Amino acid sequence: MIACRNLTKRFGDFTAVDGVTFEVAKGAICAVLGPNGAGKSTTVKLLTALLTPTAGEAKVAGLDVRNDRLALKRAIGVLPEDLGLFDSLTVAEHLDLAGPIYGLSRSETRARSGQLLTALGLENASDTFADECSYGMRKKTALALALLHNPQVLFLDEPFEGIDPVTSKTIRDILTSVAAKGVTVMLTSHILTLVEQIATQIVLIRQGRVVWNSTRAELPGSLEELYLDLVEPPRTPELPWLGS
Amino acid sequence: MAGLLTIVGALARAVWRDIRKLNALAANNFFLFCFLALGQSGAFLQVILGLLVLFPLSADPLRKVPPERLALWPLTRGQGILLRLASLCLSPAVWITTGLLIWLASPLAGIGAFVAATLIYSLASSFSRFSGVLPEINLLRHIPRLPGRVGGLIQKNIREMLSILDAYAGLVLSIAGIVYRLAATHPEPEAFFGITLLISLSLSTYAQCLFALDAETGFERYHLVPLRGWQILGAKDAAFLLVLVILTAPFAPLAGLAAGFMALAIGHYPSALGPTPQPRWRFTGGSSILLGFFQVVLMFSAATVVYRSTVAFLAVCAAVWLGSLWYFGRQLERPD
Repeated sequence: MIACRNLTKRFGDFTAVDGVTFEVAKGAICAVLGPNGAGKSTTVKLLTALLTPTAGEAKVAGLDVRNDRLALKRAIGVLPEDLGLFDSLTVAEHLDLAGPIYGLSRSETRARSGQLLTALGLENASDTFADECSYGMRKKTALALALLHNPQVLFLDEPFEGIDPVTSKTIRDILTSVAAKGVTVMLTSHILTLVEQIATQIVLIRQGRVVWNSTRAELPGSLEELYLDLVEPPRTPELPWLGS
Repeated sequence: MAGLLTIVGALARAVWRDIRKLNALAANNFFLFCFLALGQSGAFLQVILGLLVLFPLSADPLRKVPPERLALWPLTRGQGILLRLASLCLSPAVWITTGLLIWLASPLAGIGAFVAATLIYSLASSFSRFSGVLPEINLLRHIPRLPGRVGGLIQKNIREMLSILDAYAGLVLSIAGIVYRLAATHPEPEAFFGITLLISLSLSTYAQCLFALDAETGFERYHLVPLRGWQILGAKDAAFLLVLVILTAPFAPLAGLAAGFMALAIGHYPSALGPTPQPRWRFTGGSSILLGFFQVVLMFSAATVVYRSTVAFLAVCAAVWLGSLWYFGRQLERPD
């Protein structure tokens, strides 16, 4: 469902994504992990047509990320890193706006919105403007936007960061459920324990390159051990003035 | 006290950077026009223009400090009041307006303007706090969703447009024009054309920064939805033209529409380059004085031809606007 080969993105002299190659099967939940600045978000942006690759090729749901942008946007749902919300719209109005854009009728949009707001615990916040929402509510609104049009592939950039445990479990349950129905999920995260619970495929990225790609079952030990070993060895500097 | 001075210093730096970055007042077509016309105009227009120049004061410079951060700083009540007063004095519009009035009228008028500014500032701060407690008094909430695939976008865009002071400057002019029309024994038809031009001028700078209030986060959403660039840009234009036509309807709406088409045709260029940060409840800052000048010349020329020569020229203006919409819509589709 997702296939990229030698995917590369350069910004001037800096290579953010360096010849990344991997595939994700239909219905899989693929976690892309790595330290800050490793190239995870850039990879997601390349696969969602928010950026154009400098080299290499990628297909999502059979659509070329360079040439089939509009069709690709209809086929995918995205939770972007900065959520992509409009301050001057309420939570419910975001969904009302998005439905017709994706070709849903007003009544279908209303019906799906109601269900999503309830599922994500946003029913009491539906009339709240985005800029008055808490970060967790904003994230859930962005997730609802990603799900509203029933996409074939979901891209979620750090879905578990900055939200409470109950919301986190709700999101995990939703992702597991949609993946079981054949929706492919690709997510980035730093919360390894959560990733270990739901991901079926693990891709580790360091300095723009894939350093590990396997199914969860193929991991040699715990995900944290592998991560610290391959991606980011721990370093804890001494701060002698702290607490003195 | 050292802490307070540090905060005021940081605030002054932020305001200065804001002025340099946004060119907030200098590149606003309407502000420049007011500045030039204040000395030439009669008493009535001076009052209207002076009032409009005072509008930027409703923005609180202290808002640059995140409220949570401000609440965490160990400041006494007295220091808090001093900080509020200092923040008011940091507003460049206070000094520009006060200086202008001292220069053009009298020192007393300048001091009066400063007092009026303090009142407007206090009222605006109170209103924003009050509206936070009672969200239902936010009138923008009641703007209805328009039909069609991009109807929701147009609704959002109208709300954004009504969150900047340019639209209210246009509203004040429109109301003043209606009062003149009703109160004057023999209203001068030429004045209606003049008011139409002024209203179009007051909105024109916003046409240069159509995505300003969407910020980066909203701009990214546009790249995620399956819409063509011209549809996204067209939704912005629809909101702009709707507000413009409503405000100029009692005067010379076709001339206003011609000016609007030209304002957008030129404004698409800087708008499509991406969002420039724009705070709400302030006048918009255009991209450059030169572009603003070019925009105003085309607007006034088009409106004059439509008003004085032939309405058919409106079709030419519409064609230019559509060409610009198509071209810059394509630019907007480029992901990076």
